[in-house]
Amino acid sequence: MFLKNKPMWGKKTKLKSSYDVVIIGGGLHSLATAYYLAKEHGVTDIAIIEKNYIGFGGAGRNTAIVRANQRTQHNVPLYKEALDLWPVLTKELDYNLMFNNCGNLNLMHSEAAMKAARMTIATAQFHGVESHLIDAKEAKELVPALNISEDITFPIHGAMFHPPGGVVRHDAVVWGLAKGAAKKGVEIHQQTEALDIGTKNGRISSVTTSRGVINTNQVLISAGGYSAALIYDMMGIKLPISVLTIQAMVTQPLKPVLDHVVSSGAYHCYANQTLKGEIATGAHMDPWPNYTTLNTAHYIKHQAEALSEFLPCLRGVRFMRIWGGLADMTPDMAPIMDGNEQIEGFFMDCGWGYFGFKSCSAVGKYMAQFMATDQCPDMLKPFALKRYEEHKLMGETAALVNYSPDN
Amino acid sequence: MNRLNHLPTLKVDTTDKIAFIYKGKKYYGAKGDTVASALFANGVRIFGRSLKYHRPRGLYSLDGECSNTCMEVDGIPNVRCENTLLKQGMVIKEQNVKGSAENDMMGFLDKMDWAMPAGFYYNVMHKPAMIWPLAMKQIRKAAGLGKISPDYEMPGKFDEVFLNTDVCVIGGGPAGMMAALCAAEKGLRVILMESRPWLGGFFEYRSGVYKDRQTLHDRALHLANEVKAQDNIRLFTHTSAVGTYNNNLITGFQIGKKEDVFDERYIEIRANSVVVAAGCIERPLIFDNNERPGVMQIGCALRMAKTYGQLPGKRCVFSIGHDLGLEAAIELHDLGLSIACIADIREDGQDTVLLKKIADKKIPLLKGWVATKAHGRKIVKKVSISSIDGQISKTFSCDLIVASAGMTPVTGHITVALGTLKYDNHTGFFLPDQMPEKMYAAGRIFGLNDPISIEASGMLAGLKAAHDCERGSTGSLGEIREAEKVMTGLPGPVRGTKLVTAPVKGRKSFICFDEDATIKNIKQAIEKGFDVPELIKRFTATGLGPGQGGIPGHNLPLYVARYQGLPDVSIRPTNVRPPLVPTLISTYAGVNHKMFKTTPMDEMQKKDGGVFRNIGVWQRARYFSDDFSCKKEIENVRNNVGMLDGSTLGKFRLHGPDAVKALERVFVSDMSKLKQGRIKYSAMCNDDGCVIDDGVVVKQGENDYYFTTSTGRAGQTVEWIRYHTRYDGWNFAMVNLTDSLGVINLSGPNARKVLEKIVDIDLSNEAFGFSEYKEFMIADTIPIRAMRLGFVGELSYELHVPASFMKSVWIMLKEAGKEFKIQNFGVEAQNVLRMEKCHIILGQESEQRTNLLDVGLGFLWDRNKAEAKTVGSVALRQAEGDKTRFKLVGFKTENNSRAPRDGALIVDDKVRGYVCTARDSFSLNEAVGMALVEAELSQIGTRLEIYEDECGDDRIYGKVVAMPFYDPEGKRMKM
Repeated sequence: MFLKNKPMWGKKTKLKSSYDVVIIGGGLHSLATAYYLAKEHGVTDIAIIEKNYIGFGGAGRNTAIVRANQRTQHNVPLYKEALDLWPVLTKELDYNLMFNNCGNLNLMHSEAAMKAARMTIATAQFHGVESHLIDAKEAKELVPALNISEDITFPIHGAMFHPPGGVVRHDAVVWGLAKGAAKKGVEIHQQTEALDIGTKNGRISSVTTSRGVINTNQVLISAGGYSAALIYDMMGIKLPISVLTIQAMVTQPLKPVLDHVVSSGAYHCYANQTLKGEIATGAHMDPWPNYTTLNTAHYIKHQAEALSEFLPCLRGVRFMRIWGGLADMTPDMAPIMDGNEQIEGFFMDCGWGYFGFKSCSAVGKYMAQFMATDQCPDMLKPFALKRYEEHKLMGETAALVNYSPDN
Repeated sequence: MNRLNHLPTLKVDTTDKIAFIYKGKKYYGAKGDTVASALFANGVRIFGRSLKYHRPRGLYSLDGECSNTCMEVDGIPNVRCENTLLKQGMVIKEQNVKGSAENDMMGFLDKMDWAMPAGFYYNVMHKPAMIWPLAMKQIRKAAGLGKISPDYEMPGKFDEVFLNTDVCVIGGGPAGMMAALCAAEKGLRVILMESRPWLGGFFEYRSGVYKDRQTLHDRALHLANEVKAQDNIRLFTHTSAVGTYNNNLITGFQIGKKEDVFDERYIEIRANSVVVAAGCIERPLIFDNNERPGVMQIGCALRMAKTYGQLPGKRCVFSIGHDLGLEAAIELHDLGLSIACIADIREDGQDTVLLKKIADKKIPLLKGWVATKAHGRKIVKKVSISSIDGQISKTFSCDLIVASAGMTPVTGHITVALGTLKYDNHTGFFLPDQMPEKMYAAGRIFGLNDPISIEASGMLAGLKAAHDCERGSTGSLGEIREAEKVMTGLPGPVRGTKLVTAPVKGRKSFICFDEDATIKNIKQAIEKGFDVPELIKRFTATGLGPGQGGIPGHNLPLYVARYQGLPDVSIRPTNVRPPLVPTLISTYAGVNHKMFKTTPMDEMQKKDGGVFRNIGVWQRARYFSDDFSCKKEIENVRNNVGMLDGSTLGKFRLHGPDAVKALERVFVSDMSKLKQGRIKYSAMCNDDGCVIDDGVVVKQGENDYYFTTSTGRAGQTVEWIRYHTRYDGWNFAMVNLTDSLGVINLSGPNARKVLEKIVDIDLSNEAFGFSEYKEFMIADTIPIRAMRLGFVGELSYELHVPASFMKSVWIMLKEAGKEFKIQNFGVEAQNVLRMEKCHIILGQESEQRTNLLDVGLGFLWDRNKAEAKTVGSVALRQAEGDKTRFKLVGFKTENNSRAPRDGALIVDDKVRGYVCTARDSFSLNEAVGMALVEAELSQIGTRLEIYEDECGDDRIYGKVVAMPFYDPEGKRMKM
């Protein structure tokens, strides 16, 4: 702390005319993939191309919640590994990612929800992930601010308590990974826009950017909410992705009052207290596809109505800031990770919806392995694009999801 | 404290005392005081301590720009005392202090800043890893300002209104009032929102000359009276506009007066056009200890005297960069403040009249000078000033420093609505560049300072906004051109100062008060590679505190550009986000509505002991006793007769020449052979072949069909059918009858005997058999559509009754059933009954990836339909023969073990499926259930290993058996 400050992700450098790997997007999945490519596979000649600044998109707009209580066996191990990586990365990167391992409390408001939770919990326990179904009283002991009376719109029947989850400082992950990747030689080019991808003889040959053309044999597009549009524009691949604006907000800072992440499907709301003391809360997606990241009057009001019911003490607290980001939703709410399939040397990592943050560490690791070896690791195989052509959705949600009338 | 009396601008009535409690002791303020002005009058100078360094903080601004005066008021944390009106009996406490704000034991942290450079917490506290959880606990305790108790109950009444208007004007100063008056004169409906409790804005507290002999204050009064006299201006004072959204949707909140029925009220306005005349706040001057209690902005010092009748200090030094500073110095001097010196950042360009007055009053004025350091451990005792180049300096003892670098336009309403700003070198402002559609800026936002110019600009904006509402009329175009011409003849925007910081190193020069971020922190961040303001904001938290960008919003981008030596064109403002004023959650919540639909039988079922649950958009009776296994309800249906309210079912009429085609597009079955009087059970799939809905279809007449959907899908059905026929041009129409018809399900072996008593038609099995449909009247009055169905596996009549007659029919059936002891049954009993019969409920025996074939409904699918292109058929063809898919199976448990819980897994070394519904069946005396399992495990006789949550090493075992479990031949429902 007494040392002179040095640029954390290297000095600004000129864009070279060729790189082994070009990664489009300067978010978490890109940074993590670059980091692991460099660290575990010795691939260091990498350019990350970011139109704005690192962490501009979903990486800086999420509410930083991490957990591994997904629904199916294809997903749980991936998220479990991601969860296990936070302390490891903190050490490796020598950067405090501020993992607050406070546990997640997912409220259930009906018998049907309890049943759904039981399956998720059984799946977690079967895979060695701690998660329990607790009743309303036990939930109240964990979160004294909870309103467990019958007299609210959605009375609380119980909750899924998932102690290994919690909150990680999202910005720190961006900066930490950028620092770690840059240290190993990865070049991060901010304020640089990727414009096109060139192919030659059926494989990737170049990337055109606003600062010149780069020759390369491997390209990864992991540009969060913008991936689907970029992949269509540059590669002509139409993905079953609907992009929607999702909003989140924070209250003014308070002394500790919420010790766990609390979420509720019925109220469509989650809340957790950041280390700075703000109550961060969100969950709502616009009901129609759009790229606006605009806030709506309706939503902040809805959120207030929800919080006033299940965390009524917050009625005395003020909202101070709301913002929007993008969620790129697939029909089965599971991501698309694929490579060398549509065209040799082309990789994609997208469709994360609102799970992109919690998964980034493990995905970076496996995407790096995929790109370095040209072999898809078993962990990623279920997420190939082909599953949609075969009408084999993943069972990540119990109920059908609807973003547009044709799903 | 003796207050200044007889000032025409005063808003306090010192004869009307208001008692309040501060730190446990009783004090008095005057009527009209804010909490802060009352405390100030009682000698309080240190209001709280800062977030990180626990530095003392005092009154700095009056419009809530920072959290300096945030206190706990009546249990509510983070209340901005500087613009919260004092009320009788208020209880006020300090926040974020150990001890008191005066003597805070955490004050030593101010000396520890060397150990806490920007982002220090990212670099320490994780080595070794074990210290982090402990450190985190301390961070959490140290962070946060106010406190709220988990069982806090917010008092007060909160209201909400939703309004519609032609023109909405934000800001009740001279420009806003002019705009409102202009629009109102056109006969338009106008709403005017002003955040202070009174109109007048920039004119209201000033005694300078407006024109001739009229003072600015008098002019403000005059305009305010005109506004109040206009019937078509709806005036909201003490109302902050906090959000501007698409198509000019404006939100805000109003603070209630004593006589109002609300304490705060959420306001949402849909306006045709909007005028933003929100004026300016001051750009803080950055120098060492620039937030020490005793440092105040110009407006704060001046209004403390003019509005609240209190001289803000005894001896004062001004360090300013705007004529308002000179004006304030003159006024405060005349009111008795001793002014040691005025340091004006500007070398030249001051208003000559003001300069002359200052000279006449012999107030020392140094041009090109600026404050560099406030001295005094807790409150200001001295100040150092220097020439801007830092070469010469002087020190004065004083107890007040009036400091301000210039003005900052309040543009949040514009940028939040997606308007853009551009840095303007003349004013030093981020000026409106691209305005949102039908939104106009007016007044000081442009850097105007001349009173006449300000009003003229308001008039112009009002005319433009009005023109937008006149629906194509060009009437006011001429007036607009005229007003534009007038503007060009008036004084334009004034030159702003460019100075960002005094010539200091900046270790204790705060750019953001709320987050204790100094100039040094910003430098550290830039050196670390955080080179754009948005990143610096994140890294140093600048502008992310309770006051948001109020203090650093303007200075941060200016400073970052200057430090990096960037040209003006690259200076971009930081993002401003709603709510533009922090808003209580209870205010946003307003009046919480309950939004559930209830069936016509709601009340009667409640009387009968129904236990209700929210199911989708409905509230339904799930149980009729405390026994949630529903033994009695189930046995009654199996052996006697029961009634269920099925009104939530989706019910639709679909008719027209192309009705069959439309039905066949969405339903998987062949509908062309459907005979009148017969019922067809069918299902709908989505494009993935996944089954999304099931229900029955009946033919009511030629090209006229009636069908039902599941409760959950009813809301989407019409859109679904429309969407999937959108290119066909078919001629058919749909009517959603869900709410206009109720449904009674009369089930059990005695059902016929009960129904016979109230209807005239022949109900014998020969006359009205299973799977048949009939329409008839009860008592020549009530039209009934009746279906012989068997969802629960017994003799059943599903009666579709006009909602208005539901109660009557219900009562008739109850009366008729008395001799059999007819009983209600609820949704859970139905769930068990149908499960025993292996009738599926979508969502329970299916998940989003489950297709029609998986649940065993493949027989419904007609693949040879002529014009079909049935939704999902492509996917279904692909799925045929796919052995990797899940299949729905029935199972019984081994060794009389209990039923597993719903959601339990079917496993071996991995997950192979899961239990959909399983119950200890009273009808069968054993545990049965349905599960979705991998096809491999679906053979009859396969042993299933069932893994429940919390089971440890214990397993339940089951065996796949034939379905259904109960009455496999279906005799009972056909009897």
